[in-house]
Amino acid sequence: MTPQPETLHYAVSVVGKDRPGIVAGITEGLFRLGCNLADSSCTMLAGEFAMILIVSHQRPFSKARLFDELKPACDALGMSLAVRTLHADEIIRQETDSEICIISVYGADQPGIVYRVTRELAGRNINIMDLNTKLIGTPQEPVYVLMLEVALPQGETPEGVEKLLEKLKKELNVEIGVRVVTPVAF
Amino acid sequence: MAVQPILKYPHPVLKKLCKRVEVIDQCIAGLIRDLVDTMHAGPGSVGVAASQIGVTLRVCVVDVSKNRLGKENNHGLLCMINPEIIARSGLAVMREGCMSVPDYTGDVDRATEVTVRFSESDGSSREITASGFEAVALQHEMDHLDGVLFLDRIVSIKTGLFRRKNYS
Repeated sequence: MTPQPETLHYAVSVVGKDRPGIVAGITEGLFRLGCNLADSSCTMLAGEFAMILIVSHQRPFSKARLFDELKPACDALGMSLAVRTLHADEIIRQETDSEICIISVYGADQPGIVYRVTRELAGRNINIMDLNTKLIGTPQEPVYVLMLEVALPQGETPEGVEKLLEKLKKELNVEIGVRVVTPVAF
Repeated sequence: MAVQPILKYPHPVLKKLCKRVEVIDQCIAGLIRDLVDTMHAGPGSVGVAASQIGVTLRVCVVDVSKNRLGKENNHGLLCMINPEIIARSGLAVMREGCMSVPDYTGDVDRATEVTVRFSESDGSSREITASGFEAVALQHEMDHLDGVLFLDRIVSIKTGLFRRKNYS
């Protein structure tokens, strides 16, 4: 039997109409409970504010306690709330020696851009670390922009990725660029 | 050989303004040796500033000649006393990390070309114009002498689109 970890982790997501005070409203409850915000990403998507939080707390603690504390705050703010308990294996620090690339894809809006691009990447075991999309342009001429940050597996090169997506570029008539953004360590 | 441990934030020395070196003596020569040894000991390290090994003096070393990004365009090993940027031009974003701030990286704006004036260990004054990766390394290390970390210069928290409605 594996030993029980001392620290419990939860994935919390909160989404709702944007307004000032959401982060303060949610984190007040976490602070009161003595929770740590181990990792988080919060952003505005269209008019919605979306929060994804990895919350930790020392034993003894329970998902029910976390939910009961956050629910009234979310209700007051009109936000949805979901809480999931994370297994100890899920919260291992992600480290990589891989080359990190940004792939930019943009062109006339059409169904399937994200699917077609990510399917190619998945087929080569290229892991997506960050992704965001935006619909820009005018209603007459909608333009879709997809930005991906990916980690290349051993043996894969930025040129290889460019070549991999070359066919798609022609087929979907979109621009696709690959740039290396691997951090430099000083 | 005197490899020194690299101080990690929140060590208070990393946020201190370093003092000018007034006299270049044996102590400074020893400090430079320690900085070079420490740089060579760090895997892939291309520079170390005195404050990173706990000395609040305006001394740093840079050597990008062995780095993939710097090997084509560099001045070799630079041991700089009281370095000053006297001219800068261009602007480019590079994602940086730092031995003093492990496990975090961020996009930083840097000049693409800098002219730096400094004293060498024999006391003579030297001026170099560096570009590309070497220019970024120089700016990063010289920031340490002012107690500035790359965290103080991060320009975007999200890779993505420019969100402003008005471009004026």
